[in-house]
This record gives sequence, structure tokens and C-alpha cells, in this order.
Amino acid sequence: MLKKILAGAALLGLAGVQPALAQANPPDTLIALRAFDSDNYDPIRSTARSAGEVVYMLADTLTSVDWDMKTVTPGLATSWTVSPDGKLYTFKLRDDVTFCDGRKMTADDVVFSISRLADPANKSPVRWRAGPVKEIRAKDATTVEYELTQPFSELLFQLSLFFASVVDKNSVEKLGANFGVQGFNGTGPFCWVSWTPRNELVMTKHEGYKWAPPIFKNPSPQVGKVIWKIVPDDNTRLAAMQSGQGDVTQYIPYVAIESLKKTPGIQMSQQPNYFWDYFLGFKVDKPVVNDPLIRKAMVMAVNRPAIAKAVFFGAGDAADAYLNPNVLDYDPASKALLPAYSPDNARKLLDDAGWKAGADGVRVKDGLRASFTVYGITDVVWTRTAEAIQADLRRIGVEMKISLFDATIAWGKLATQEFDAFVMSYPYVSAGDALNLYWPSTNRPTPNRMNWNDPETDTLLATARGALDPIDRKVALAKVQERVTEANVWIPLVREQLWVASSKRTVGARAHGLYGVGIYKGLDISLTK
Amino acid sequence: MLCHAVHRLLLAIPVLLGVLTVGFMLMQVVPTDPATVRAGPMATADVVAAIRRDLGLDRPLLVQFGLYLARLLQGDLGVSIINNIPVATELGNTIGPTLELMLASLIWSIPLGLALGTIGAYWRGKLIDRAVMAVSVAGVSLPVFFLGLILIWFVGFRWGLLPFTGRSGPLWTLDGLIGITLPALTLGGVFIGPVARMTRTAVLDVLGAEHVRTARAKGLREITVVLRHALRNALIPVVTLIGLQIGFLLGGAVVTETIFSWPGVGRLAVGAITSNDFPMAQGTILVLAGGFIVINLVVDLLYAVLDPRVRA
Repeated sequence: MLKKILAGAALLGLAGVQPALAQANPPDTLIALRAFDSDNYDPIRSTARSAGEVVYMLADTLTSVDWDMKTVTPGLATSWTVSPDGKLYTFKLRDDVTFCDGRKMTADDVVFSISRLADPANKSPVRWRAGPVKEIRAKDATTVEYELTQPFSELLFQLSLFFASVVDKNSVEKLGANFGVQGFNGTGPFCWVSWTPRNELVMTKHEGYKWAPPIFKNPSPQVGKVIWKIVPDDNTRLAAMQSGQGDVTQYIPYVAIESLKKTPGIQMSQQPNYFWDYFLGFKVDKPVVNDPLIRKAMVMAVNRPAIAKAVFFGAGDAADAYLNPNVLDYDPASKALLPAYSPDNARKLLDDAGWKAGADGVRVKDGLRASFTVYGITDVVWTRTAEAIQADLRRIGVEMKISLFDATIAWGKLATQEFDAFVMSYPYVSAGDALNLYWPSTNRPTPNRMNWNDPETDTLLATARGALDPIDRKVALAKVQERVTEANVWIPLVREQLWVASSKRTVGARAHGLYGVGIYKGLDISLTK
Repeated sequence: MLCHAVHRLLLAIPVLLGVLTVGFMLMQVVPTDPATVRAGPMATADVVAAIRRDLGLDRPLLVQFGLYLARLLQGDLGVSIINNIPVATELGNTIGPTLELMLASLIWSIPLGLALGTIGAYWRGKLIDRAVMAVSVAGVSLPVFFLGLILIWFVGFRWGLLPFTGRSGPLWTLDGLIGITLPALTLGGVFIGPVARMTRTAVLDVLGAEHVRTARAKGLREITVVLRHALRNALIPVVTLIGLQIGFLLGGAVVTETIFSWPGVGRLAVGAITSNDFPMAQGTILVLAGGFIVINLVVDLLYAVLDPRVRA
């Protein structure tokens, strides 16, 4: 105590008021810490996870996803039916839902919100997630008919994502481009109060909210106020959690997860069904990496468990398939098709294929050096991961040149054809979601940066999208997984783990993980003081 | 004096124009376009192209620059291409906290640096002088982020004395004072060393001057001799250094603001640059460069106050 007082006095000259200065957080106010802010909070305009974690609190979606990440549960829609041809979904809505301004939500609001997402004029980068919309109409105040030009089996999952949040038409029209910047009127458990970009976003409890998805124990929010605070520095954020200046966060450096688990007063929640994967993808039409055998050898050469241990400090799992085994429509058979780690077999494969070691140790075949360039975003994780891969490939006589770019320019570079391979990570909600993002030939050059142009894959994906029977969808998606795994288009690397840390006074913070969002809707979280 | 001030002001105009041009061009040479950043990694090419058109980024560079200058002359800094917030509004929200932070840093570090330097010079070669030199070397050597993390670790976390995540309120409130203490100690801490060293050297030079000997011969009290006759005459190089250091303080503020989640111009600039928000980045560059120019102007005018020969 003496040390405390002396240090405080000496350092600060404020001895008289010292012990009370670092006040505990205000009562009934949850302080959620995060590393980044979003550009805006308009659901159709931002694809950032940092937008999602806020919008999920401010607004609701027609459907929700259970903790198993496989079961679609009711949201604003209490039930739904699908026509025999799979083109017409009829949603029955709750009739007790109000916006934050007190206005009752009706089917017209749902029609407006999702039509806004689907309308090409609004240039939403995630418009495709609404499916091939023909028309969305209100049959009556609590019934919405969602008509498609073709069946879209992913629709119920896609409608659980924050992009399809129901928002107040009046507020959108009044604020225009400033919707989600200067204000937001939704039906979510919390209401927008203020946003100071890069600093904090404040929201208060939505009085009267009682329509939480059934996955929560409490239908209403348990805290009066939530402040999303941006703390960009990892060390500061960790210290803030440990000292109680923050109540909850999912932005934990990998290196700190183990120590936080052992920190008294910190509670850690993990979501095992979390789908955010790291991979290396090859452009299959570029020299060297267009050779399926060399791609196979490279998959065999990379020691994925070592990367998970050394780079992710055990807070990531080595990927043994293209998709997480817990995801809906995962194909276990494709796992067996991924070549096992064996540098010896990789070397033999290359020897047999005619790739002979050159003077500098890099293999050559028909005058072509086994050398290629990988692009990615520079950060600690990707730098170390790329260097580990580079070392592994060097051991089999393949040279990988690394070009990692600052995020300011990386996305532009990754949209070009300058590179032969790329490293990236991404979230997904189902096998269909992941496969339909990266593998259709129509998604070249982005996000299909592999230039994968396979009519069979396109047909299978179309079949899966149009499947009326979940079994048919699963079968088609399984074939896609097997097809791309056999072609060794990617080197699956690591599956990120999701952990949510909460302070001593925080109860009920459970990691969810939909679209990477750990603190989904903020429900069931309460504070003891 | 007025002519001197006007002359210095006029000289600042071409500097500001140069900064504007260089700032604009620098943002253009970044090999990507903000439309890609705004669209996100999962967007298709047609969406990116549409966003690029909307932002006017498909126009020739000179046209973009001309439009920018024309708007600027009308006092319009533009709006963020990321979130449509007017640049002036964002700058207005962030300048205050940055100025607060700088003020709170300088208000204790300049007097302390001057005092330490003067003490070191007066007791040259004694233990206290060595202690002052040790403090100033530490101040010069310590990176601002390291000092910040040390203070967070001990004062904020281990001892739980002070908050360290953001601004708690305006400087004139108790919450604001408490909230700014650690960031101000961090930013000011790295300022003490250079000021103390320069003051020590300058005071040492002056202490041996004839006018100081004369003052002593007149029987003036020692403290009057040191403060009025030695320190005041030693201030010109110190003021120059302070002026330069305040400019560097703006750079240190970027780091300090990041570590302490302080909502200032530094973090705004970093955020704008990392998101390729051209108008916002140019606005922050303008403000930071303008701040540097104003500081230099103030230093120039202070010379004239401290040394009438400059006015001649």
C-alpha cells in the first residue's frame, strides 16, 4: 500500500486523490474492447466484422443460427415455408416488434431492407448473399414472400447475416448516405446513441425488447448500456482487460490466450464451431503453379501443425481439409484426399515428375525454375506463416518469393494477375457459403483469385444452390470439396480459434462466431456491479 | 515587429501549397485505389468499378487535384469517401484532444526541462549535474511507445492508479485531468531530455559571459543572476529547439494516441491513410503541416521578443 501511495505521489503529484482515480467501469455499462472500428454501420455497405458485431446489436435478422452453427433458428421470422420448386419462401413475422423510435415493425420494413440489399443500384458488395431475387413482397403485415428466379439453398443462412438486417425505412431515407454513420434505427436489443469514429460507439438498451432469438436464455438485454471502445494497441487492450477497464473482448493476441486463461478474474469462452480459416491459394493458370504435381508436392511439404504451434501459439488448429469439420455440409471424404505431410514423398514426387535440382538447389524442368511469387497482407501472423512455408518449400527445392503488402495497398494488389499464389483468411457460415464465394468461375478475378475455371465445379455449385433436398445439396458440395482438394488448388493452413475474454464482473459472455462475431447481439450478458 | 510577423506569414503560404501538392501526390502514388478498399475483399470487379466511378477516381489526376484546390479555396475540405463524414467535422472533433494532449505534455515538461538544464549548468560536474544528464539521456533515448507501455504496465495495470484507455472528458474536468495524466506523462517525458540538455549547454555558455560577471559584481542575488541574466539570455537556442521538438511532438502524439486510444488527429491521420480515405488524409496532412508552420511562426516571433536584434 505504501509503495502504491509513494509511487502514485512521486509519479503524478496527485497523492491526495490517488486510489480512486482509476475508477471501475460505470455500473450497468458494458465496456467492450476491440482493435478496429468500422468504416460505417450500414448493413449493406460494410463487410467488416467490426461492423457486424455492432449491427447485430442494433438490428435483427429474419433468421438466426444456433451455437452449433448448423441449425437455423427463428429471428424476426417465427416460421417459414418453402415452395416445392424452392423459389418461394414465405416468412411469418413476429407481430410484437418495434424499432428503437417506437414504431411497430411490419412486413413492409423487411421488404424494404432486403430489397435494399438486393438492389444493384445500391452497389452492395454483398448483394449476392440475398440470392437471385425476383421479388420480395409483403403479403400482409406479418407475412413476407421472398421469390427467387432460381432456388437458393443457402438463403436461410444468408438471411442470418447482418447484411440482411431489418432497418427503418424512414431513418434510411432521412439520413441517406449517413445512415449507419450519424444514426441507426433498428429493432435490435440495443439502440444507437452516438459514434465517434476510431474512438467509441455508444448504445443503450432497447426498452421493451423481448424478441431475442431462441438461442438465448433471456429474451431481453441485461445491461443498460454498451460502449464499444477502440483500443488499437494489443498490449494496452490486454492490460485494460486484466485491470478491469474493459469488460469483454474477442480481440486477443494469439500469444496471450494461454496466459489469459490463467489470469485470475478473467473468464474465457471458446466457440468450437468457429469458421475462420487461413490458406494459401495458387493461381492455377500461372507457370510453375499450373502443374498439379508441383502443387501436390507443396501441399505435402508444408508442416501445418508446426505453423499452428509456432505462429498461432496453439490458438489455431492445423487445417486438415479445405473446410472446418464442424461446418454444415462438410465432406469427411475430402479430408482423406488432402496429401499428408511428408517432405520425403514430396521430393520423390518431384523427382519422378522430372523436376531436377538446379545448381542453387531450386528445381528445374524444361528450363523452368520451380519458383513462384506469393502475395498477401503484411502483419506478424502472415509474415511468420509465409516464412515458415517458404522454408518448408525450400527443403523440397521450390522457391517461394514473398511479397506482403500493407493493408492500404494489399487488396488492390490482390485483385491483379501479378502473382502466382496468395495467402488469405476468411469467415464462412456453411460449406455452401465458403464454396460459392471462392470457386465459381464467375467470381474471377476476385474473390476467385485462383482463376479456377472448372465447368464441373460451376455445375455442382449451381446444383447445390438449387437443391431442394438438403441431402442433394450436401452431395453436390461434397463433390466440389473433393474436386478442388484433389486438384490441390489451396494449401489449407490453420483454423483460427475464437475466444472471448470477460472481466470478473461480467456474467454470461459466450463466444458465438457468426461471421466472426464473438459477442453476438450482447444478450445474456449481465454485470454483477 | 508587425512587419516581421507579416513577412513570416507570407513565407508560410508557399510552404503550405507545397505540402498540399506533395500530400495529394503521395496519396496518388499508392498503388491501389480506395474503391477496392471500400468494397472489401469479397467484392466482385463490377462492384469495385461502380464504386470507383462514384468516387470520381476515374477522372484524370490533374482534374482531381484542380477540383480539390478549388474546393479548398472555398473552405471545403470535402467529405470522407469511406463514411461521408465531412473532413472539417472530423478534424474539429480531433484537434481539440490533440491540442489538449500537447498542452498537458508541455505544461510540465518545458519548465522541468528548463529547471533541470539550469541546475545541471549551475552545479556543473557535481553529482546533481550527473543526475540531470542521466535523466536527459534517458529522456532522449526512450522511445515514446516504450515509456507509454511502462507507465501503462505499472501505473495503470499493476498499481491500478490511473485509466489508460481513451479520453475521459475535457481537460478542465476532474475526469479529463485524470484521463490525460498518463498520455501527458508519456508524451512530455520524451521532451524533457532534449530541453534539459540544450538548456544546460546554453546556460553554461552564458554563465561565463561578462554581463553575468557584471551582474554578480553589482551584488545581485545569485538566483536573480541565474534566472534573469543567464537563463533569459540562453533561451534563444532553447526556444529554437522547443519549436522543433513540438513539431516532432506531433509525430509522438500519433504513437501516444494509438497506445492510449486517444481520439486525436494523429489517430485520424493513421486511420485515413490506412483506409485510403484521400480527402481525410489530405485534411489531416494539411492540419499537421499547418500546425508545424504555426509553431515555427511562433518561434520566429518569440526570437524577436527575446532578442530585439532579430527585429532589426
